[in-house]
Amino acid sequence: MKKDFKLIIDNEGLENQSATDGGNRDELQRWPLFGLSVGSFLQVIAMERQTCMMEVYLDADHWGHFCFVEGELYDAVSGAQGGEKAAMEMISWENVRLNIKQILNTTGLVRRIDKNLMLLLMESTRLRDEVSDGEDQQELDVAEDLEDREVVVDDADRGKLSACLSIMVKDMGDALTAANIVDLAKGKVLASYHAAPEAAEAFLRLTKFLKSAFRDNTQAELGDYLILDLKNQETLVLLMIGEQQWCIVFNNVKCSLGLLRNVVMPKVIRTYNEMQ
Amino acid sequence: MNIQKLNVCMDILKKDLGDGFVASCILTTEDGQVLVATDQANIAEATLLNDATALMRNALKTYPAELGQYYYIDVAGNMAILVIPFGDYQWTITVNKKLVKLGLLLNVVLPAIINAFEDAVVS
Repeated sequence: MKKDFKLIIDNEGLENQSATDGGNRDELQRWPLFGLSVGSFLQVIAMERQTCMMEVYLDADHWGHFCFVEGELYDAVSGAQGGEKAAMEMISWENVRLNIKQILNTTGLVRRIDKNLMLLLMESTRLRDEVSDGEDQQELDVAEDLEDREVVVDDADRGKLSACLSIMVKDMGDALTAANIVDLAKGKVLASYHAAPEAAEAFLRLTKFLKSAFRDNTQAELGDYLILDLKNQETLVLLMIGEQQWCIVFNNVKCSLGLLRNVVMPKVIRTYNEMQ
Repeated sequence: MNIQKLNVCMDILKKDLGDGFVASCILTTEDGQVLVATDQANIAEATLLNDATALMRNALKTYPAELGQYYYIDVAGNMAILVIPFGDYQWTITVNKKLVKLGLLLNVVLPAIINAFEDAVVS
């Protein structure tokens, strides 16, 4: 069990505390993290494969927690609700305060959520979209600034792409060294995993160079992907998917190129398309 | 550099790829001059790929990582390009990807021709 989670704020008296124990709701200091969305934080915990409890506080009547064991969402509790229902409710909350507690003792923790976290997040996004569809449409109609709309679309896309990267992280485990997804037209980094923004920009320049080199000097067009053999048993795969460029660096001993191309990527792309 | 061995490299390549072989070109990385090229080789393309390799090496520094033995570029349509940079030389191979499976190219053909290429360069 990992015990080095840097975002753990409150560990006092936890040695003998059960993972299913709710906790005191009277002190706001107990939820020192704010300004973060529940979904984003859940993804970070899953990606880092942490065993912890994430407490969520919306107001005095709405609070609860998620339980993770090695990055897997085991349970959620919110008021009288538990399991998937509680999770779905808390994911939809906005402007929440959060706290992270390490779980040292998983005894008594029963897994009540079998659904993949990404599916829960997608389902929550879909439900929220349905509810706010009418309002959003009205808002968009009166919006004077086109950029505002682009930002909304960008944010939604970023969430979906982060979810795709999380699936990749889960499937490839420690074989995945780094990954990023860039908007080809705008040059914006939409999602990344252990990759510096400079890396995304550098490979964007490379793609643009190759595209123009092919267009200007040959009758051919650059295709959908590049494969770069790297030193230290690593491979970099550059994929052009629609308007995006995916750059994936991985250990080719722990995960073969064939596995990435034929199993992992089709699954990730399928998930992305399902979220559209 | 052993020119005879370099020609042997080309022969091995053509034999291994069969109908999947389209064109090939070996050039010096410093000045982009062509040493050996087959009939259908696109010299302009090979020269630009020499610049692309330099761009790749720089881009990889941001991770940081280093380019290994080869890179493979998918081209729209039937073609694909395999590039093998080695020391002061770069070997560009154009294949018909419909006739040469990627696995065969990278796991069978590539190891054989890399050995022959390295042997030709250091001789």
